[in-house]
Amino acid sequence: MASLVGSRVERKEDKKLLTGRGKYTADVTFAHQTYAYFIRSPHARAEIKKVDFSKAIKAPGVVSVLTGKDIVDDKIGGLIAGWRIKSEDGSDMKVPPHPPLASETVNYVGDHVAVVIAESLDEARNAADLVKVDYKVLKAVVDTSDAMKSDQIYKDIPKNLCFDWLLGDRAKVKEAFDKADKVIKIDLINNRLVPNAMEPRAANADYNPSTEEITLYTTSQNPHLARIIISAFNGVAPENKLRVIAPDVGGGFGSKIYPYAEEVVCSWAAKKNRKTSKMGCG
Amino acid sequence: MGQFMIKVGLEVNGKKIQKEVPEHTLLSTFLREHLNLTGTHVGCDTSQCGACVVHVDGKSIKSCTALAADLNGSKVKTIEGLVKNGKMHPMQEAFKKLHGLQCGFCTPGMVMSAIDLLEHNSNPSDKEIRDWLEGNICRCTGYQNIVAAVKEAATKM
Repeated sequence: MASLVGSRVERKEDKKLLTGRGKYTADVTFAHQTYAYFIRSPHARAEIKKVDFSKAIKAPGVVSVLTGKDIVDDKIGGLIAGWRIKSEDGSDMKVPPHPPLASETVNYVGDHVAVVIAESLDEARNAADLVKVDYKVLKAVVDTSDAMKSDQIYKDIPKNLCFDWLLGDRAKVKEAFDKADKVIKIDLINNRLVPNAMEPRAANADYNPSTEEITLYTTSQNPHLARIIISAFNGVAPENKLRVIAPDVGGGFGSKIYPYAEEVVCSWAAKKNRKTSKMGCG
Repeated sequence: MGQFMIKVGLEVNGKKIQKEVPEHTLLSTFLREHLNLTGTHVGCDTSQCGACVVHVDGKSIKSCTALAADLNGSKVKTIEGLVKNGKMHPMQEAFKKLHGLQCGFCTPGMVMSAIDLLEHNSNPSDKEIRDWLEGNICRCTGYQNIVAAVKEAATKM
């Protein structure tokens, strides 16, 4: 047997990926496929006054229009922060609410307000144009350095402070600085990180009414985590009624570790409509 | 909002196809949704990433910004049309041999684009390869092995 050290190892997946026979999430299509199109906030921060979808629901091909109210009524849990940090004073990190579809406020451009499910993507997109959302635009906080002095965004989070993290020994550091010949103060500006995989995020959920099982295809680096979160935290279905499949994944770079609003909404909408719902590129 | 349907006739990977589709159907949608040729990928939908590159009448184009109806009567070749008698194209072999791919999402567009380059410039320099592939973005490989694969394929084509 040739030595493994120094010898070429050919990848098993290359042939299918090179010949167009890979299967990424957007390549999965079910019989009776329906398509999800999200209505997103054009504002960085606003109060939702009213969502009027009376015209959209009557548009050709539309199966349903779901809003934040349905999320509240169905007791679908919010998106979680996957890391728990304690502040220097020992208090727990404060986690702001992040419902999969907003019902009270939107807090970034692109925040999800409603979803249109239709027989085709064109029909979903056309009907989405007919959904009218009235916003009361609020002043946004866009700079971390000013955030603590700015308007309070969430009522339970004073000074907009989620946590105040300390690593190291404050007393010893002070002692070292006090003894130093010269102390230089600088502001460190961290550049923005964008994982930006080539394959955009995508999800496709199939509901089988006879077994009451949801099968979610999603472009994920961590389908096991998605299954636990969508069942235990979002409460879409018990874990034994939710199967999560990550087929070929077109890069993730960390951005595809956690489930997002779309995966939760597509799984929930599939079950609610007793059909499938697909969100994705193209 | 009625949809206007239009007849589109194309030769795709050597097969004559005739379909009636909404008139605004993009070539990428025509291939992926109407012909189930999902090897052509849509990464950005705005002609920037190059994952959707196919050949139309022998030239590489971005299929996400071409209307299928505009190309009526054309010959289209996609990534699925490269394998002959079970054998991969030299470009595909070179990408495999030299690790010119990782996640594979950009790969179909990258391969189709690179083949077009070699078909009109059989022995390109590193710079010519990099300039040509400017419209194909890969996030995994760092491009070194892609350039090496194109050079390797140039010796086989």
